[in-house]
Order: sequence, then C-alpha cells, then structure tokens
Amino acid sequence: MGAVTYPDERVAKFLSLNFVPVQLQSSNHAMMQKFAVSWTPTLIVLDADGREHYRAVGFFTPEDMIATFMAAKGRWALDTDQLTDARALFEEVISGYPDKEAAAEALFFLGVAKYKLSHDPKPLRETYEELNAKFPNSTWTKQADHYRLIGK
Amino acid sequence: MALEICWLDDLTKAQETARKVNKPILLDFYNPQ
Repeated sequence: MGAVTYPDERVAKFLSLNFVPVQLQSSNHAMMQKFAVSWTPTLIVLDADGREHYRAVGFFTPEDMIATFMAAKGRWALDTDQLTDARALFEEVISGYPDKEAAAEALFFLGVAKYKLSHDPKPLRETYEELNAKFPNSTWTKQADHYRLIGK
Repeated sequence: MALEICWLDDLTKAQETARKVNKPILLDFYNPQ
C-alpha cells in the first residue's frame, strides 16, 4: 500500500478529504489484539467513538481503494444516521466506479438508505432487480435476494 | 497533495479530530518490512 496506492495523488487527496487517517505498525501487539487484527494490511473504518463500521484485509489498487472506501464511508454515514450523505456517497460509487465490486455493495446499501429515508420498501426490490441485472454473481445480489418478494 | 497520517500516539487525538470534523477514521494496520 505504501509503495503504490498511498503515493497515488488521487488516493492521497481522497483519503485526506474524507478520513482521519491513522497508521499502526503490526509490531504494536496491544492494538493488534484490541482490534483483533491477525494479518496486514488490515484497514478498519471507525467512528469518533471508536466503533467499527467497515474492515478490509489485503492490498488495493488506487482505483479499488477509492471505490471501496467511498462505499465504506457511506456505511459509516448510514450507521451514524447521516442518510442523505450516505445516499450521495453510494450514488457516487455507482456512477464513478460502475464495474468495481464496491459498486455492488454501494447499490445494496443505496437501497437501504433510500428505504430509511422514505420508509417505502419499493427501493429495496428495485435494488435487488438492479443488482441481479448488473452483478448477477455478487454476494450482495444473493444477500438482497429476499427483497425480490417485496410487493408481490 | 500528500497523504497526512496521524500516527499511533494520536489515536485518541484522531478520535477527537474525527468528532470535530465529522469524518470517519481510517485505521491502517501495516507491516513496515
């Protein structure tokens, strides 16, 4: 990550604007244990109270990094009830990175954000239909499968 | 634009910053070797 992804101008700009970045060395056993980390790189998204909202293990290309962590920020916004921001972040992932796996995750949670904003379950069914059309093999499509029954 | 990192000792400070600026923290566990 330090050799390719972090030095990338787009990644640096994205992370600096959207996150408070913190790095911990794997030699810090107390923190590795506290966060139950057993392998590096492990990237965890926390809120200001230290609650975890997203976790990923392994390396990311610059584009995957931005797409994945834009969706992760959306998860944080969704979990902390910033629903309009969450919707905007998920929409940005879907439009900006339509071919990335993060777009499938963003689509799943866009349906959730829309439902929470409107209390109308229709967006959940639409989510399944769109996921099934665009990402038929994604685990997010499988996890949205029961939404297809909504309204039928 | 360079990536600005808050280091280990600043995790508590990072939480304070995160609250102030309403942003999530990205915690990166890495092996420097």
